[in-house]
Amino acid sequence: MVPQTVATAMPLPDAISDLFGLGDLGLIGQAITAFVAAFLIANVLLVMAAFAGPWGKRKIFADFSDRYAITEHGPWGLFIIPAAAIQLMSKELIVPKGVDRPAWDIAPIIMVFSAIFGFAVIPMGSGIHLADPEVGLLFAFAIASLSTLGMMIAGYASDNKFALMGGLRATAQNIAYEIPLIVTGASVILYTGSLQMSEIVAVQAETLVQLGPISIPAWFAFVNPFAFVLFLAAGMAEVGRNPFDVPEAPTEIVAGYQTEYSSIYFVLVYLSEFLHIFLAGAIMATLFLGGPAGPGPAALGIVWFLAKVVAFFLLTQWFRTAMPRVRIDQLIEIGWKGLLVLSFANLLLTAGIVGVFFA
Amino acid sequence: MSTAWIAISAMALIGVGLPIGMITLSSLLRPSVPEDGKRQTYESGEIPTGGTRFRFNVQYYMVALLFVIFDVETAFIFPWVVTYRDALEGGPSVVAVLAPMLAFLGILIVGLVWAWRNGAVSWARSETTDWRSTQNQ
Repeated sequence: MVPQTVATAMPLPDAISDLFGLGDLGLIGQAITAFVAAFLIANVLLVMAAFAGPWGKRKIFADFSDRYAITEHGPWGLFIIPAAAIQLMSKELIVPKGVDRPAWDIAPIIMVFSAIFGFAVIPMGSGIHLADPEVGLLFAFAIASLSTLGMMIAGYASDNKFALMGGLRATAQNIAYEIPLIVTGASVILYTGSLQMSEIVAVQAETLVQLGPISIPAWFAFVNPFAFVLFLAAGMAEVGRNPFDVPEAPTEIVAGYQTEYSSIYFVLVYLSEFLHIFLAGAIMATLFLGGPAGPGPAALGIVWFLAKVVAFFLLTQWFRTAMPRVRIDQLIEIGWKGLLVLSFANLLLTAGIVGVFFA
Repeated sequence: MSTAWIAISAMALIGVGLPIGMITLSSLLRPSVPEDGKRQTYESGEIPTGGTRFRFNVQYYMVALLFVIFDVETAFIFPWVVTYRDALEGGPSVVAVLAPMLAFLGILIVGLVWAWRNGAVSWARSETTDWRSTQNQ
């Protein structure tokens, strides 16, 4: 077992408290340090989304399709990020006539909330881990699926036929793929025996096979690659990326549930999409790729972790350029007849693997 | 209760506060010139044809019922997966630990097969839709 750097229930707030020599501050002090830590993590996420949204996504898409993108704004077009931020912030908010007012405003807030909140339990390495409750994984799944509610509200409250259709599609898709996702996630727990995120990461740090000087860690993706592929497919559908992007389907239903959102609400909807991709990547990295594990000193954990998350983001962009979209009826059949059955088969397979090799 | 939930509550506050803060900041910066044409419902530039509050066919409504069943069932699977490895350490054979869950999953799979054969997870054809009219002639 690798020595664990994470031992407390809220590692990052406690580290901040130690750094400033605050000692034992009681409940109020803990609340303040927790708040500071949460603010820091949220800002890391915002910076990542700022790079990915107005800049990274366009650059990547251009590279995949042999074009140039954003060449005019500073080095590598990076200045497009502040420009886009100011532009989007100062756009007029157009409120269509028929919208249900409080619900229409609440929907983007729910979507962003669920994405940011999910990161509370993710161990990002280098001690950046906000909270480590015993039900960590279950909490992450529960919070991530709240976004379906936001999409449904957005679709219904917009009073737009495209939005309604997009909202319904998003709901059907998310409930269809959530069960394979969670059952496949549960198969990892068969192996780790704990829902606590730090424990899941620690178990995967053990050595699986020793090949001469190289020791292959027991990352769950190596223990059961079948589960990893299933989780990847279900995760891709859960964040609504190609080939499962029917809820938005720009060529069919304009933009789905986000059709009537402009200005800052548009930013929030898009922000939540990027953050959900990162959250899905983060959960995937934690469950299957050893979380922040990687060669080099443990202080590099955050680098490896972010590399894994960005790799998942790149994969979604690659699929976006390379994969055709499935139809809604195909989507539902793939989910309920394909992935669901396979995920149960995987649960039993994993139970067998763990029972025979790791008991 | 562990202190973890203090940190999680802090994150929840940030999660709500951040979007609200962004909306507030934007409301200070942005113009507001509501005009009739602008506030039309977007229907690809056409004149909108009525609202969305009407009866329509949700072709895949049955999956919502299935979802409730399977979602509850995943909640039952979790205690088993958490204790599985510990149970094996105690000495019983793999079969003894696996069998109860096999029985449980078996019942569920019978249910799924039933739903599958009844067409609950396929695209329900509406009686009012003429399918041939959408085919290429």
